[in-house]
Amino acid sequence: MELEPVVAVILSTLAWALLSTVAVMIVGVPLAYLLARREFPGKRAISAVVSLPMVLPPTAVGYLLLSLLADNGPLGKNTLGIDLDILLNWKGVVMAYAVMSFPLFVRTARVSFEAVSPRLEAMSLTLGRGRLRTFLIVTLPLATRGLIAGLILAFTRAMGEFGATVILAGNIPGRTQTLASAIYSAQQSGNDHRANILLATALGLGFVLVYVTERLTVLPGFKTSRLLGR
Amino acid sequence: MENGLEIKLRVPLDQFVLKLEYTSAQPVIGVFGPSGCGKTTLLETVAGIRRTPSIAGAIRFGGTAWLDSERRVNLPPQQRDIGYVPQDHLLFPHISVKKNLLAGQARAARSHHDAEETFNDVVQTLHLEPLLGREVATLSGGERQRVALGRALCSGPRLLLLDEPLASLDITLRRRVLPFLLKVRDRFRIPMLIVSHDPFELQALCTEVIALRRGQMIACEPPARLFTRADIYPMAATHGFENVLPAIVTTHAAHKTSVRLGEDGSGPAVNVLPVEIEPGERLMLGFPANDILVATERFDGLSARNILPATITDVRPIDSHFIALAQLDGCALDPLAVEVTPDAVEELALRPGKPVHLLMKSSAIRAYS
Repeated sequence: MELEPVVAVILSTLAWALLSTVAVMIVGVPLAYLLARREFPGKRAISAVVSLPMVLPPTAVGYLLLSLLADNGPLGKNTLGIDLDILLNWKGVVMAYAVMSFPLFVRTARVSFEAVSPRLEAMSLTLGRGRLRTFLIVTLPLATRGLIAGLILAFTRAMGEFGATVILAGNIPGRTQTLASAIYSAQQSGNDHRANILLATALGLGFVLVYVTERLTVLPGFKTSRLLGR
Repeated sequence: MENGLEIKLRVPLDQFVLKLEYTSAQPVIGVFGPSGCGKTTLLETVAGIRRTPSIAGAIRFGGTAWLDSERRVNLPPQQRDIGYVPQDHLLFPHISVKKNLLAGQARAARSHHDAEETFNDVVQTLHLEPLLGREVATLSGGERQRVALGRALCSGPRLLLLDEPLASLDITLRRRVLPFLLKVRDRFRIPMLIVSHDPFELQALCTEVIALRRGQMIACEPPARLFTRADIYPMAATHGFENVLPAIVTTHAAHKTSVRLGEDGSGPAVNVLPVEIEPGERLMLGFPANDILVATERFDGLSARNILPATITDVRPIDSHFIALAQLDGCALDPLAVEVTPDAVEELALRPGKPVHLLMKSSAIRAYS
């Protein structure tokens, strides 16, 4: 029975979602911290642009990215002089995942940074520790719970991504097909059996992730008092 | 000036402008004023935590410019070598007490302190040993205060900044925490800047106190003189004024402890309620100004256990009554402030130079040991 391609689809979807979550974290943590702590010109505009993918139809975001990355687009090979080679391959999938899950992570992370008292950071400075050390030793650990919740949100959002992905990376079996697009294809072609296997997998994965999130929030190490800075 | 503090500041606030020009090499400086007079702003500006561009002026400590707005110098807090103990303690909630205490050890090592020796010394002085493994959330108010103080001391500071160190504690806790502050002052000899709205802690700890009102310095004197000024006393006595004097324990009896007043115990003997403190050790005594009686003659058959000869040095009108300042005979201690009514002043003919007896019940004297 055609189990092998199903496993391949699931594994690559998980790998792409993981990659996109890492990318989201690397860009999102500093941005969320800046949005939470600093005032700078254009802060509101940046905040709004970051949130856009949450309110636009995913296909619109996909089409926008496609236009940007097309050969003659602002980020295309004819403009930049180098070919980023993102369209219609796995990098396109990761990019679509990352852009669509970015706002969820940044919003959650921003709130958890805002919940850390700036006075605790000031206290750390008076003890002779620099800004970076203070961020790593005080701010980050106190915001951990929210950051982990944000990462899980971003990961699950990526797993479920469909609209932007099919436009940017297509739905090429064995190359860019994801769990979401595989279910779509199976259903469209009347392959109910395959669709059911994929659906069961999606249900199982979703359940595990939600379960882990719930467990995380009640772990003894994650007391809410930590966030209040007292 | 190795440990001199120079402040020349202008900080616009919502309601008024904090303006201060002050230079001193006193080891323990106090800042007194009602809440909202700019005390905490001053402390945070010295700490470098408050850094709004509207702050103008200069702050120098031990010859280093921490702030000099004309030369565009404004060192960040991590370069000022301070030990900051805020009113809300700001202990790090995600790490143990021990790790909190060690939070500033890197700086201590940089400034050539033996971090381990200091740590052991601080733990011993502040009795922190039993707290080391505890979580911050489980500490009581007095314990938090001690840990916050210990954390600041362990970071090898050149200047300690204390924000209302006792005011947030109730009277029993104060009695327990004050001796630790005194020990810190005498053991570590780090200059301190203490802000408080409570005259008590400033009298017990400081050698010089600045009084602030709406951001302006209205006086700057040794505490005993400052708080008995006619313009300061009403602010200092909102919850009853306490004269604070040091004393040395001499003997214990079943129902009382005898002490002699003065840093070296050379003053007159006084009986207080029993305190658990070894003979020869020092303690602070609080004499409430409205619990002292003045007599022009020595009476017999009184229940008051302390009858001390003294001489009136001044009588000052305060609102509707007076305070008489009485210098205890045979010692160089600061005069005690005694609240008296206008009638008493007239009938007893209280005036400077008048010999009197001060009568105090043992139970009215508060011992901070």
